[in-house]
Amino acid sequence: MSIQHSNKAIEIKISTVVAIAVILHDNDLTRLESELQQLTGNSTDFFAGECAVVDVAHIDCATLDWTALIKLLRTYGIHPVAVRNAPELVEESISKLGLSIDLGTKTRQFSEVLPLDQQEVEAPVTEAMIADVLPAESQPDLLDIPTRLLPPMIIDTPVRGGQRIYARDTDLIITAVVNSGAEVIADGSIHIYAPLRGRALAGASGNTSARIFTLSMEAELVSIAGIYRTFENGFPVLPPHSPVQIKLNGDKIDVTSTTHSTTN
Amino acid sequence: MARIIVITSGKGGVGKTTSSASFATGLALRGHKTAVLDFDVGLRNLDLIMGCERRVVYDLINVISGEANLNQALIKDKHCDNLFILPASQTRDKDALSEVGVERVINDLIQMGFEYIICDSPAGIEHGAIMALTFADDAIVVTNPEVSSVRDSDRILGIIQAKSRRALNGDEPVKEHLLITRYSAKRVESGEMLSYQDVQEILRIPLIGIIPESEAVLHASNQGNPVIHLKDSDVSLAYQDVIGRFLGEETPLRFMNYEKPGLFKRLFGAK
Repeated sequence: MSIQHSNKAIEIKISTVVAIAVILHDNDLTRLESELQQLTGNSTDFFAGECAVVDVAHIDCATLDWTALIKLLRTYGIHPVAVRNAPELVEESISKLGLSIDLGTKTRQFSEVLPLDQQEVEAPVTEAMIADVLPAESQPDLLDIPTRLLPPMIIDTPVRGGQRIYARDTDLIITAVVNSGAEVIADGSIHIYAPLRGRALAGASGNTSARIFTLSMEAELVSIAGIYRTFENGFPVLPPHSPVQIKLNGDKIDVTSTTHSTTN
Repeated sequence: MARIIVITSGKGGVGKTTSSASFATGLALRGHKTAVLDFDVGLRNLDLIMGCERRVVYDLINVISGEANLNQALIKDKHCDNLFILPASQTRDKDALSEVGVERVINDLIQMGFEYIICDSPAGIEHGAIMALTFADDAIVVTNPEVSSVRDSDRILGIIQAKSRRALNGDEPVKEHLLITRYSAKRVESGEMLSYQDVQEILRIPLIGIIPESEAVLHASNQGNPVIHLKDSDVSLAYQDVIGRFLGEETPLRFMNYEKPGLFKRLFGAK
């Protein structure tokens, strides 16, 4: 993967940070402390200053002593950075403590995060785009999963320069060409049954197991979970006319032929 | 039922106005009542190519702003009785080209019994180009066989998909046609130019015709005579084929293969 070092003093990029989730089921601090003690075997360096998102969905926030809670967590090496599922009433006091409000379960404003090339999304909005996400921490019942499966977004017309398509929380399947200057994005994997000549960004919200498939690899840029690769010096040599898959291998993006991927 | 056809390309200088003039003339020569509208406000050219620049009194913007009616502004072509030209304004601000105004003009033309309304788009993807394609039923995308023109055509096809009235209303999409102009079979063979197959592979819309590169176009433009009138020139034949295909005839492609001049031709030197 080619990482371009620039002379800029600051760069803003999308990045995925691993954080632990602290899900509170009680707002009694003494109970919380005793359970933390048990959990960590009384060692205060059990958590090594990890970033944490505090989920307060299951407790009554009004009676919670936020300052004491943060202090308690810090003593155990947990570094709270954000609060999730807080009622709007307490959002302001949380912000005052220097924590941010995690909108993980609310509709995110994706277009504000990713710099728009020139134009707004010109693709039809599908149900998938407006559907809600499951909170990452919640453990859905196994029986629940089929009903929660989001249908993929399917596009049957060529995606042309300047157009941008985003499949929120699902896979993107395109049966026509993606031309240069076009941008196709999915939170899941991207399947293109035609040449890919534009940009394809899979796993846009951090799914590192997302992949990109195309019948002909001619892309300007591919990205998986924020790690990107460009092809200034040409494409990897693959058997001619073989479909290609692009996946993440550590922090590198691998471009391989699907027909030869077992031998690689 | 009248059909509204936009001639567009994204890139400038690829032959939109030349194609608009010959396409409109070709339809009129076949007996269809046709109007051709110049949307290139500020840089009008169509009237020059059609050879009616000295007869321009009122223009599209005058009609839109209500300073003239359509009958006053439409210029009858000097060759064809059923061809009319609505020139663009050279002086007005292009913001005067309002969507409501354009729609009214097009509806009035339909009321007047025009069968085909050809909208000659300006280059670029700005307001004028959007206005030209907004009401289209068909789009003829004029493309030269080189990468930047192909890329711009791709862009304009995306805009047609997004911004045309048909797209916004969820109607049957605008019918797209690829017209490749300034095609030099010789340069394609020597690898200097994209082949028509290459262009089609990228754009993936049906090909309506290939217009060969020719000096006849320049001569015709300078004389204010649409090149389709130059009977027996390959360009004229190619445009006539395009009209035929547009009207549903099955016509094989021609002028896409390079034939090496034979001995006779080389000796007696047709240029």
